[in-house]
Amino acid sequence: MNAPAIQLEHLGKRYGRVTALRDLSLDVSAGEVFGFLGLNGAGKTTTIRIVLDLVRPTTGRAAVFGIDCQARGLEARAAIGYLPGEPGFQGDVTGEVTLDLLAAISGGAVDRARRAALLDRLELSVADLRRPIREYSTGMKRKLGIVQAFQADPPLLVLDEPTEGLDPLMQDAFYGLIADARGRGRTVFMSSHVLPEVERVCDRIGLVRDGELVLVSTVHEIRNLSGRRVRVSFAQPVAAPAAWPGGCEVIEISPQRWDLRVHGALGPTVAMLAALPIADLEVQMPHLEEILKTHYRVGSPRDGVSQ
Amino acid sequence: MIRSVILARHSFRRSRAAVIAIAIVLAGFQFLLTQVAVFLMRNQAFGMLSALVPEFIRTMAGPSMVAFMSFGGVVALGYFHPIVLASLLGLAIALGTEPAAEVDTRFSDLTLARSMARRDAITRSVILLVSVVALLLAAMTAATWTGLACCTPADAERPSFALIRSLASALGAVVLCWGGIALAIASGAKRRATATGATAIAALAAYLVDYLGRIWDPARFASRLSPFHYFEPMALITGDATNGANLAVLAAMGAAAVAVAYVRFARRDL
Repeated sequence: MNAPAIQLEHLGKRYGRVTALRDLSLDVSAGEVFGFLGLNGAGKTTTIRIVLDLVRPTTGRAAVFGIDCQARGLEARAAIGYLPGEPGFQGDVTGEVTLDLLAAISGGAVDRARRAALLDRLELSVADLRRPIREYSTGMKRKLGIVQAFQADPPLLVLDEPTEGLDPLMQDAFYGLIADARGRGRTVFMSSHVLPEVERVCDRIGLVRDGELVLVSTVHEIRNLSGRRVRVSFAQPVAAPAAWPGGCEVIEISPQRWDLRVHGALGPTVAMLAALPIADLEVQMPHLEEILKTHYRVGSPRDGVSQ
Repeated sequence: MIRSVILARHSFRRSRAAVIAIAIVLAGFQFLLTQVAVFLMRNQAFGMLSALVPEFIRTMAGPSMVAFMSFGGVVALGYFHPIVLASLLGLAIALGTEPAAEVDTRFSDLTLARSMARRDAITRSVILLVSVVALLLAAMTAATWTGLACCTPADAERPSFALIRSLASALGAVVLCWGGIALAIASGAKRRATATGATAIAALAAYLVDYLGRIWDPARFASRLSPFHYFEPMALITGDATNGANLAVLAAMGAAAVAVAYVRFARRDL
């Protein structure tokens, strides 16, 4: 398939006077893991629900592998495994019956061995599956949700807050599933509030704010944009240089301590520091959280770094 | 269509305990009514019951009262008793509002995010309504006929099987009509409680409008809009063979409501 896994063209959605999405355009390539970020109410879930044809767009179109999500919704959804933010399982039904029902509705045969492997990896036992879902904890429900999304091995996984309610070990298990999916050429489109998670698993991220896409970039490019923090402690007071190396920005300076931000190559800055009586040197990669928080705020400039 | 059947089977499994319990109660009631009729017959009570009613009321009520105060009338009571009617209507409303329940609980996010058409959810409800109502009426009819066949004297004026079948059909038609109306309302509702409440209020209003229309001329035209206007069990008991036309109207109303449900559910945001 050469078409993008997800193609959103000038997507807009209004609910009466409220505009949930404005002119949102985005391509997600086949085989990539894409993180879709934004504050509550920014438009993430609306976008996902339009892709699934649960909600109809006011303007624009959405397509999955070149198939229009509204005009040919059945075909489009046949390629999608979806994990809702709040899976609405029926409490009086067992996990096993739920998985069987959803597999039957999907129309395709589910590989039992694959399902068993998923359950094993997420530590959901056969005994757990035979209990009614109302007896499940939040984490167990989330695991069941992950299994029902992954069990048919769909080409595209759309995951809304996938690790919410999971303990750290199960989060790791989930990241392993993502890595496996990527290894098999599957595409993952996930929304998340957990920026360290996005940083860990995503190839690219998109940030939506107030219904608009304000940033699309690789994680690597975003970090480079922000620059690295360099904190230097000196054994004795040192005078600041007359001119700083290219890409070096002063955050705070005192006679025995410099706090700098370096954009681009570290070499010139390190070369300058090498001649000085350094007592300690700390270089920090910026966390996505720090960088993106500035973009979350309304009024921050749009920065479409790369698509 | 196959997905509709899969969902209908699933829904029936979830509700089968309640359906079976209702079937047992209604069937039991039908059987016992045959024995009540036998009791009244043996005690020559039909004539006494009629004599207890003032002459002017008997005149106003007309032949239907005479027909009701008979062996056949008492046996037939179970097919138009207000509590039986209300119970079946309540069940039909519960089944017909399932699409709204699934939107409310977000179960529809799991099913409709798959390669399943929205119409399959409505077709599921239609299958469920028809099969459950048919099952209950079959149980009631079987219980009535069993009571008549096994436990009534030979000289009892038993109602014919054709009459029992007509009464069951009439009851089934009005119940399914309201099931369709519930489905139409539920297809646009975000919450099951909203759909259930709206349908129940509509049914109450329709029942009262029909009641008024039978005794008050200014309400006569409005009563034609009520499905209950076409539910005339007493006319069947007195031998008035108008069931075909009434059944057709109720079927048309129900079908129109289901058509509305398909269109609304297909177009809405979930």
